[in-house]
Amino acid sequence: MNEMGWTERLRPYISLMFAIIASFTVGAFLLWILGINPLRAYQVLFEAGLGKLGITQTLIKMTPLLMISAGLMIVLSAGIWNLGEDGQFLIGAILVGVAAPIINAYLPKIPALLILGMIGFLGGAAWAIIPAVLRIWYGLNEIITTIMTDYLAIYLTSWLVKGPFRDPSVIPPQTPVIPLVRRIPQIWGGVHIGLIIGVVAVLGVHFLMRNSTIGWKILVVGKSIKTAVHTGIPVARLSMMAFLLSAGFAGLAGANGVLGVKGLFQGDWNPAYGFTAFALVYMARFKGGTVIFLAYFFSFLLLGGQMMSLRLGTPVFFVTILEGLMLIFFVVNEYLFQHVLERRRS
Amino acid sequence: MEVEAFITVLLSASLRASIPMLLAALGEAYNEKGGILNLGIEGMMLGGAFSGFAVALITGSVFLGFMTGVAVGAISGLIFAYLSVTLKLDQIITGIGFTILMVGLTGFLYRYFYGRNFPTLGVSKKTLAIPFLSKIPVIGPVLFDQHVVVYLTLLLIPLLHWILFHTTFGLNIRAVGETPGAADAAGVNVAQIRYLVAVFAGAMAGLGGAFLSLGNLSLFVPGETQGIGYIAIAMAMLGKWSPYRVFIGAWLFGMVESLAVGLQIIAVPVQPEFILMLPYVGVIVAMVFLARNARLPAKLMLPYERGER
Repeated sequence: MNEMGWTERLRPYISLMFAIIASFTVGAFLLWILGINPLRAYQVLFEAGLGKLGITQTLIKMTPLLMISAGLMIVLSAGIWNLGEDGQFLIGAILVGVAAPIINAYLPKIPALLILGMIGFLGGAAWAIIPAVLRIWYGLNEIITTIMTDYLAIYLTSWLVKGPFRDPSVIPPQTPVIPLVRRIPQIWGGVHIGLIIGVVAVLGVHFLMRNSTIGWKILVVGKSIKTAVHTGIPVARLSMMAFLLSAGFAGLAGANGVLGVKGLFQGDWNPAYGFTAFALVYMARFKGGTVIFLAYFFSFLLLGGQMMSLRLGTPVFFVTILEGLMLIFFVVNEYLFQHVLERRRS
Repeated sequence: MEVEAFITVLLSASLRASIPMLLAALGEAYNEKGGILNLGIEGMMLGGAFSGFAVALITGSVFLGFMTGVAVGAISGLIFAYLSVTLKLDQIITGIGFTILMVGLTGFLYRYFYGRNFPTLGVSKKTLAIPFLSKIPVIGPVLFDQHVVVYLTLLLIPLLHWILFHTTFGLNIRAVGETPGAADAAGVNVAQIRYLVAVFAGAMAGLGGAFLSLGNLSLFVPGETQGIGYIAIAMAMLGKWSPYRVFIGAWLFGMVESLAVGLQIIAVPVQPEFILMLPYVGVIVAMVFLARNARLPAKLMLPYERGER
């Protein structure tokens, strides 16, 4: 019995490992068909993330993924499919881009950054209010409404930045550039405090979901709304909280992008972190440590993909293929594992 | 005369613009009625759009392009059915995985083979005017001077409605989505029906995607579908899975899109992004008003396990 518990506990990690191996194998096969040496390609892929530059770049890239993942860990646990991360990210980002010059004119650096972070968070959360209300009080499926708000936000922000929010002093459509001294303080070679916020957020959510009453209540809501109602858990309030928190974290990631990396909001900007974060949170089985590891790994791959494209001319989409394959293989592995275990038991 | 010409152009352009989404939505309506929600539709449309375009470019045959698009869609649908019906995997996760994979695969192959050359298919006359009928004012150019696939789609609508709501086969599909246990007890092969609707939905998404790259645009760009697949899912729900209502919704959607292009052409000083936003607002508003009392099929997204209640 004890032994079974042990394999049960290791199961997600083994599924994950096999999913990574399987997706790389299929990827290698694809490269081989196209006449690219897979070993050479993977060498380039893995070398990119090594060395000081590689590590700092990976850490910078993983920051928004961590923040979005923290939110997803809450909302997916509550059984709510908020797939509108990209839109919530963009709304948070553009509000920060517009507000930054105004707030910077009146406040010193640190309070200004705190307020701007709040603006990003609240902006992202506000963008989710409509899908959240529709889901929680009207029972309208949130998958479609949140995806619709994604596209809405893409066009809305790109309209705003080309029209009303545009900085008239420069030619490309963008918000005013935030001076370097007013950006998020750096720790090490371009890596800034946002990374720490992201890591703390993921770990904080991890412990909140496991060691607090409120986390436990959210899990109950996610498992069975009926049970939650019967035990007197305020389902509507908790669902709303989970929904808005997750959207807020996406907005915070947007603020991080503007204040820590880009220094402005640009027209047609859509980094589309949502599905990547979604895939990694699911594959990490909502475990904080694994989420951090996978966020690092995915950013590492992204960087390697860019290096491959530069050196071998293989499009960066290669990494997207790996990501999709990994998610599918992970679900299949979970199934196989469960079946093999069940068969051995009976 | 001016007004008539404007209306004619708007109606025919919007009908053509709505076809990719309409085809996918018709397939998805069957899918959802049978208890499957396929978020991979978006990816399958991309698969159809890219493969159809590439084959048409290589062979010079648009017909082969369409066939390839349909085949790629159907195969994707088959794989999706295997994962969600046979292996009973989570449909949302699998669907999202599928879409990520297809976004990557189509983008990768396109960029690898065509780089940034942006090849286009030769612009040829794409419409097939039906003699006499196409001469009727307004209705003629709108309904009888269109691409063959548009005719095919228009014919499919009543046929699909009839099959779904007036035949035993359609009843079986709906039973499988609502009470698979009862359907099973009555001798309906639940898995077979679900496989069929999933493959059909994939093929329709592939055809819709192929129409996007072959019929509407004559070119492919990575991420060409721009969320049309998701809108198709919304449209199927909004139309309460009735092909007629889905058709009306899709046409209205196409009208807003065409209006955005039209206003650009006649240089009305409005940002295209502002108009492109409107369809999404429209879908959300429509969902608020219409979908509040629309009940989803009871077993949507749930795999069927024999003997479970």
